[in-house]
Amino acid sequence: MTTTHASALAVVTTGLTKEFSGRRVVDRLDLAIPTGSVCGFVGPNGAGKTTTIRMLLGLIRPTSGEGIVLLGDIHDPASYLGGVGALIESPAFYPQLSGRDNLLVLARLGQLPTSSIGDVLERVGLADRANDRFNRYSLGMKQRLGIAAALLADPSLLILDEPTNGLDPAGIVEMRSLIRSLADEGMTIFVSSHLLSEIEHVCDRVVMIRSGRSVFQGSVEELRNMRTAELLIRPQDPRQLGSLAKLIATRGLEAQIDEDGVSVVVADGSPWAGELNRAALEAGITIVHLAERERNLEDAYFALTGTHSGDVEVNGALGGIQ
Amino acid sequence: MIVAAFRSEWVKLKRRNLLVGTYVGLAVAASLFAILLFAQASATGGGDLPSLAQLAQPNGLIHGVNRAAVLLGIVAFGIAATQIASEYSLGTIRQLLVRQPRRPVLLAGKFLAVLTFMLGAVVFASLLATVAAFIMAHGRQIPTGAWTSSTGITDLIRALGDLLLATVGFTTFGLVVGLLFRSSVTAIIVGFAYLLPIENVVTRIVPHTAAWLPGQLLQAIAAGGLNTVGFARSLVLSIVYLAIAVVVATAVFVRKDVTA
Repeated sequence: MTTTHASALAVVTTGLTKEFSGRRVVDRLDLAIPTGSVCGFVGPNGAGKTTTIRMLLGLIRPTSGEGIVLLGDIHDPASYLGGVGALIESPAFYPQLSGRDNLLVLARLGQLPTSSIGDVLERVGLADRANDRFNRYSLGMKQRLGIAAALLADPSLLILDEPTNGLDPAGIVEMRSLIRSLADEGMTIFVSSHLLSEIEHVCDRVVMIRSGRSVFQGSVEELRNMRTAELLIRPQDPRQLGSLAKLIATRGLEAQIDEDGVSVVVADGSPWAGELNRAALEAGITIVHLAERERNLEDAYFALTGTHSGDVEVNGALGGIQ
Repeated sequence: MIVAAFRSEWVKLKRRNLLVGTYVGLAVAASLFAILLFAQASATGGGDLPSLAQLAQPNGLIHGVNRAAVLLGIVAFGIAATQIASEYSLGTIRQLLVRQPRRPVLLAGKFLAVLTFMLGAVVFASLLATVAAFIMAHGRQIPTGAWTSSTGITDLIRALGDLLLATVGFTTFGLVVGLLFRSSVTAIIVGFAYLLPIENVVTRIVPHTAAWLPGQLLQAIAAGGLNTVGFARSLVLSIVYLAIAVVVATAVFVRKDVTA
């Protein structure tokens, strides 16, 4: 990890690992977030997104691994957090204080100019409610105050954990617009979401994790272009489903048995259909159905993360499903 | 940077409900103690009450304030424990540590802010209790000339100093317990249960433990020394206890992951 390398990257981690009571939550995660990019961080619930974000923010100490954030060592968060703004999970503020006073607490602590409080409140549309107590805010207003707090330090890296949680549709559109406008100003933005649509609409890069490990890193375009196909194979004798699945597995492919037959994900355009048909015949398995279905981006996502649609919301997700 | 953390904490401490509630509440309570003490005092004294002649002594003024010492200590403990533990229950500790990742600095600033808040409250309560004592003395025809003599003023300053020292102890104790339990409710229940019934029961059953238990030592400091344990021993032992507690709590705070 050289300085030159790191300077082109706002965040870079190598082998970042976190274990809680022997359970590995983040597993040798290698991240590379280019400076100036808007990078989405996607994965099913419990994949390790929040733990990763907390390690980047110095709230959780990595069990092992290295990292550089804004040229600062991840083991010395004080060296870089001055340039970082963050919204971590739900916005947490003092309920009895006004929105403005909540920001004043943070501004004073970070030795930030208090004049910026009005600017960030204006920016998130809370200026006229700034003197109301936080416990009188709606969920959407609380979320916006969280964004205001993150912007208070005029950060060069903004880390947002589920920023659209609790926002109504208009608020979500506003949030997207805000993120894009911040990115246009050159801010690097790392945004986690369980909504694939958020990634499509605001990000130019994506990091996908599953069980604490990165399963994809690249541009949204690369992800869109990553086509795969799914073969559905049904033997004449349903009792041979297991044998067929084993036969497929011996060829290094992952087979799943369901009521329709055996499904297997292969690279789009690959000759696997013919090869598997031939191999099945040689093994004495008569195939009565073999069909190829092109997979859309959600399928690619689920294949990468090993999740089902119940784990991650795909409404309006990449690929245009609404 | 400790100053920044100190100023930040005061934004929370100066909110009207907390500031007025604590300052006025303690002042009223301390004054009430003084009023009741002077109202109940008799010519001969007796029981736990001083006589009218004793109240006329140079140190007569501080009897009322001393009666409120335990209450002041309990309130100091509760506010200090809540101020730190609520950061975890609200989740605000995340925000604070992003803006000030040097945890000992954050802790020191927070401690000093809560401490000055409590010291201010105790001074304010003592002043009002003193005024109440003068008014009550006038009503009971107790001569107050000795109170304003140089000896009386010195006694008053010393008593206030002792009370402030005990407040430092109770506040530190509260912060440590709040930091270790990370829950306002648990910290308050555990702290109050220990300071009030547990220590009292233990000292009743095994009287000589009063010379070792932290709550008893802080009460002895507030009173300028007790029959059971002297002031100097209380001060030294309290400093040792609190130093150990602060080191342990700081180490936990610095090393522990923030998952709140």
